[in-house]
Amino acid sequence: MIAMTHAGYVAAGWIGTAVLLGGYAWHVVRRGRKLSRQVPASERRWS
Amino acid sequence: MTATTSPRTAAGAPQPADGAAAVPAHTGSRTTRILGVLALASSALLVLYGLVISPPDVEMADSVRLMYVHVPSATYLYVGCFFTTFASAMWLWKRTPGWDALAEAGAEVALVFSFITLGTGSLWGRPTWGTYWTWDARLTSTAVLTVLLIGYLALRRLDLDPGARSARVAVLGLLLVPNVIVVNRSVEWWRSLHQGSTLSRIDPTIEGDMLVALMVGFLALGLVFAWLMIHRFRVAWLEQQADRFDLDEALALRRAEAADATTATAATKGTA
Repeated sequence: MIAMTHAGYVAAGWIGTAVLLGGYAWHVVRRGRKLSRQVPASERRWS
Repeated sequence: MTATTSPRTAAGAPQPADGAAAVPAHTGSRTTRILGVLALASSALLVLYGLVISPPDVEMADSVRLMYVHVPSATYLYVGCFFTTFASAMWLWKRTPGWDALAEAGAEVALVFSFITLGTGSLWGRPTWGTYWTWDARLTSTAVLTVLLIGYLALRRLDLDPGARSARVAVLGLLLVPNVIVVNRSVEWWRSLHQGSTLSRIDPTIEGDMLVALMVGFLALGLVFAWLMIHRFRVAWLEQQADRFDLDEALALRRAEAADATTATAATKGTA
């Protein structure tokens, strides 16, 4: 980790992946919460 | 709207008829909570193995660390496409909404993994090949697959009759796996800068801590993929149900308006 070659590329790849996955997960969960309030609990079979 | 088919709270949430007010309004469940914890734990392990324990490669040096994300992402891009094609075929056969929701979930999650695949691949290519992008067979076919996924999801958002829209996207969904096969075989069918398979040979080209880091990458991103697929499937299911309830409400409103009009007409005639 210390004195890593190509550190900028590695950091960009890993951070970009974490941000993209984290952002998408947050978006999906938020959309699910919003839609859940519009649908009766009986239609949410996983609850 | 004055007439509804289900009682609603001030916030618009339907009231559970059985008094089960404690039912949480989200797409989570015990399974997704366990998956989420495992995904976070394995992601932490991936950071440890991928960035600390794994040694630099003799040829690629530290840019090999991008492979621990890139290779699993490409694999789960393929898996997402398989979900969509299989679910599209099942929808065309069974015509049940669950298959349509699964097809949508697979395509959207696959698109996210395709962005990661292309992004990490480009970042790896710059120090290794000297360029972020080249019109190589593997790279081009992956870009075509990404464009196909974007087109698929755009088609899903067209304002069409739901049945007609599902039929059209299902046909497009059938094309994803043939494209995946082209992407996967492209390094063998055409002359390519991209390296061949790393793991599927009898004698793998990677070993020791680097192999462990790659396996942990498959585990971590696999758990993330599964967590996203389940949540996204439930979101697609909720969208279908919300559309159905909106339609029911609109029909009930029109019926109520028609009944009011009939009553008013009868009252006017009676007065006359």
